[in-house]
Amino acid sequence: MTDIDIGSRWGYTKRGYAITQSVRQLRHRSTATLITLLVLGTTFALPAVFWFGSASISQLVNRSVGEESITVYLNLDVTDLEAARLAEQWQGEARIRATTHISRAEALALFQEQTDLDDALAALGANPLPSAVVVYPAIDPNLPGNELVTRVEGLAAALQAQPVVDRVQIDLDWVRKLQSALNLFRVVVSLLAGFLTLTGLLVIGNTIRLELLRRQREREVSTLLGASRSFLNRPIIYTGALYGLLGGAVAAVLATVAYSFIKAPADELAMLYASTFRLSLPTAGQFLTIIAVVTALGLLGAILSLFRPIQGQVPNR
Amino acid sequence: MISFEHVSLAYQTGRFALEDVSFQLKPASFTFLTGHSGAGKSSLLRLIARLEKPTSGEIRVGDIAYSQLKPRQEPGLRRQMGIVFQDNQLLYDRSVFDNVALPLIIGGFRFSEIKTRAMAALERVGLADRYADDPINLSGGEQQRVGIARAVVAKPRILLADEPTGNLDADISEEIMRLLLQFNNSGVSVLFATHDRELLQNYRFPQLVLDGGRITNLGRSPAPARQTAHESVSP
Repeated sequence: MTDIDIGSRWGYTKRGYAITQSVRQLRHRSTATLITLLVLGTTFALPAVFWFGSASISQLVNRSVGEESITVYLNLDVTDLEAARLAEQWQGEARIRATTHISRAEALALFQEQTDLDDALAALGANPLPSAVVVYPAIDPNLPGNELVTRVEGLAAALQAQPVVDRVQIDLDWVRKLQSALNLFRVVVSLLAGFLTLTGLLVIGNTIRLELLRRQREREVSTLLGASRSFLNRPIIYTGALYGLLGGAVAAVLATVAYSFIKAPADELAMLYASTFRLSLPTAGQFLTIIAVVTALGLLGAILSLFRPIQGQVPNR
Repeated sequence: MISFEHVSLAYQTGRFALEDVSFQLKPASFTFLTGHSGAGKSSLLRLIARLEKPTSGEIRVGDIAYSQLKPRQEPGLRRQMGIVFQDNQLLYDRSVFDNVALPLIIGGFRFSEIKTRAMAALERVGLADRYADDPINLSGGEQQRVGIARAVVAKPRILLADEPTGNLDADISEEIMRLLLQFNNSGVSVLFATHDRELLQNYRFPQLVLDGGRITNLGRSPAPARQTAHESVSP
């Protein structure tokens, strides 16, 4: 037999045939495919932007807690030498990252620098200020914000319980407020993401139903030729996965572009507040996660569509 | 090879498409299935291909009793059969070769086997040189020949032909008939549904005559045959 040109060997295996048919159908209706992919991309881009943003804001809270310090005022009868030893001793503890000792003289100098109460201090005759130790907690930035706050507060309470300590000062209220606002943001975003994900799933499901109708003749003929259910369903499932894969890629690209537009003004705002916080662009892992999730949704949409097959799969004549 | 024992097929309305049909076809036989439109010819073929399930009775193909057949075994049963339709049921989004190769892909054949068998089948129907064409560019008779090549490419034991010459002129019908006879001579059982009087008169093969869903006659065509083949039918 003369050699014939019939295309790739792989396209004549069962799986190769299914993938070839899926790709061919998508390419055959390129305009419709492009529109569907854009619909999927824009639908999933918004939850993706929220997800990227939520991760950055969590980092902001954790960094804020991590940068927060506890000021421990010691009793007046504690000498500077004892205070310095205490600071050194605390620094060895696992929960404490660093300590800074402020002697009574340094405290007085700071007080004088920041206030105009020199005359009042002169009238007192002696230095009324105690030694202080500034404690910087050791923070695992991967812990949830709530737990970080609880841990810092636990450390403050433990320091307060020591007999040499007069008073502990810490301000975590603003972190709690930020945490509450973030939790509300997360709930709203989760709901919105849920609705948009459901929309995406319906779009994929509807597209697959139309695909089933378009491929009805092929499915009928294949059934007559002895195709198994898996042979019939495989191209449909691959089509769902392809829509998910490509739609996910479009969503990830759109989300990254949108995020890069948000980044500049957000960084500028952070700088105005003298914060070192910067919005970080999505990582490759986040990018791939978006694609993987949307691909999984494409598969799910296709499988759900196949649960209720289109009527009349086999011709009457 | 194929046997029906008191087989009935009723619609949901209660009307019978087939009623108490019994017959046996021996292996490698050529049998005409005839009767007016709506007599039940297509229903009978659909029952053999397991596209419908009988309301009552037993169908056997070889040693397979349909009543014992599990749904997952049905595709395997269909792969033992070739089916040719009046409207040929070709897929117009792919080449002639890809249409003929489809049963082999479904059957999980290797690429080299697919290439060899599909080209051999096209050779037998005289269309090897048209393998790369789109079916839409072929004439009606050529398209039907592609349909026949596809039906026989996986070397089925049974060929079910549902009015394959219904849309074709007399010369092309003769050509299709000759092809089916060739396959029958190579050992394939052929059950040929038709109401083409000319064909029935020209070829003296056993006939199953259906009328109103019942078999009214099991016998031979009254006219002398032009060409003989394997034949056998018994009540």
